[in-house]
Amino acid sequence: MNIDEIRELLGLFNESGVAEMEVQRGENRVRLKRASLSHDYVVAAPAPAAGTIYAAAAPPAAPAPAAQQSLAGASAPVIDAQAEKNDLIKSPIVGTFYESASPGAAPFVKVGDQIEKGQVLCIIESMKLMNEIEAEFAGTIVSKLVDNGKPVEYGQALFAVKPR
Amino acid sequence: MSNVHWFDTVSSTMHEAARLADEGCAHGTVVAANEQTAGHGRHGRAWHSEKDAGLYCTFILRPRQLDPANVPVITLALGLAAADAIALPCDLRWPNDVLIRNRKVCGILTTLHAGAVLAGIGINANHTAFPPDLEPIATSLRIENNGLPVDRHALLNRLQTAVLSHCAILEEQGPKAIIDLFTRASSYASGRRVRLEDTGETGITDGLDSAGFLMLKRDDGRRITIYAGGVRPAQ
Repeated sequence: MNIDEIRELLGLFNESGVAEMEVQRGENRVRLKRASLSHDYVVAAPAPAAGTIYAAAAPPAAPAPAAQQSLAGASAPVIDAQAEKNDLIKSPIVGTFYESASPGAAPFVKVGDQIEKGQVLCIIESMKLMNEIEAEFAGTIVSKLVDNGKPVEYGQALFAVKPR
Repeated sequence: MSNVHWFDTVSSTMHEAARLADEGCAHGTVVAANEQTAGHGRHGRAWHSEKDAGLYCTFILRPRQLDPANVPVITLALGLAAADAIALPCDLRWPNDVLIRNRKVCGILTTLHAGAVLAGIGINANHTAFPPDLEPIATSLRIENNGLPVDRHALLNRLQTAVLSHCAILEEQGPKAIIDLFTRASSYASGRRVRLEDTGETGITDGLDSAGFLMLKRDDGRRITIYAGGVRPAQ
C-alpha cells in the first residue's frame, strides 16, 4: 500500500462518517479510528495468522516503510489488540466478496443491522466454493469494509461489528 | 451404498443437504433427487433439472486434517471425481466444469455451510435434447454414448466412490496431489486462450498456483490470478 492509497483511504474515511475502519493489503494494514477531536492513524504489520496462508495466491505486498514512518510520526499509534480481535469479521480465505446470495438479491446485512451469532453476513467465493461467512458474535454492523464483487485476501477485515 | 437419501422431488438438493448437515450427518452422506423445482448454479442461476433425466445430488463432506485455507482445492477434486464416475473421455474446465466435446455435461457448485462442505453436482445423464439456449453448450451422457440410457443409481454409486476417494487423496496427500491430477486432466490448465466469465478479460492460461488458483497471462502482458468465476474459450 503506498502513501497515495492511504491518502485516498483517509478521504473515504472522512466522507463516510464511520467510527473506525481497517483495510489490509498483503502485509500492510491501515486502521483508522475517529477520536473526539482528531483522528488516530495506525499502520501495523498484521499479527501472525493461525494456520497456513495462501503463500502463492496472496504474495505479501512490498512493505511500505515510508508510509509507516510518516504516519507513525504524524500521530501516536493506537493499538488495541483486543478490540481488533473482537470487532472485525475477517475473511478466512482468499476469494471474491459477495454481499448477497445472487446478483440483484438483497444483501445479507447492511450497516446498522442487529446481527445474531451464526448469522450469514456475506459469501466469499473461492474457486466456486461459496464460503458463507457467519457472525462469531451478536452485535450491530458498524461498517462494511469491502465492495461487492471485489477480491479479498486471507485475514482481510470485511465488517466492523459493535458487539453486544 | 450407504448414507444415500434419494427423493422424488425437492426444491434443491443443496437445501436438503444443509438441513442434514445441521443435524450432524456423517461425511459422505448424499442427497439425490429425481427432480429439483429450484435447482441452481453459481449466483442463483437456474440449473436445468428436467425430471428423471439428470443426476441431481449434493454430498455432505467433512474433510479431516485439512487446513481451512486448503478447503477450496476440494472443488478441483470434485471435478476429477465426476470425470471418473462419468467414465467417458472428459475435459475439465477450471475450476470444475466437466466437458465432453467442449460441451458441459456436469456442473458443480460447492458451499461451505456451518463447517461442512456441501458439494452440489448435476450430471446431464439421460437428456435427449436441451432447451435452445443450452443446446450449443450442453450435452448428456446418453447423447455421448450412442443413445444408451444411463442408470442414475449406478452413476451415483460410482460418483460417491470417486468423491470419497478424491477427498481422501486431498486429506492424505495434500493439495498438490489434486492440483497435479487436475493439471494433467484439463486442457484449460495452461496454454488455452480464455475469457473470464466475470470480467470479460482475455488471455492465455498459465497453470495453477500452489493453492489451485488459475493463472492467466493477459493480453496486455500482465499476469493475474483468478480466484473466482469461471473461464470460457475465447477466439
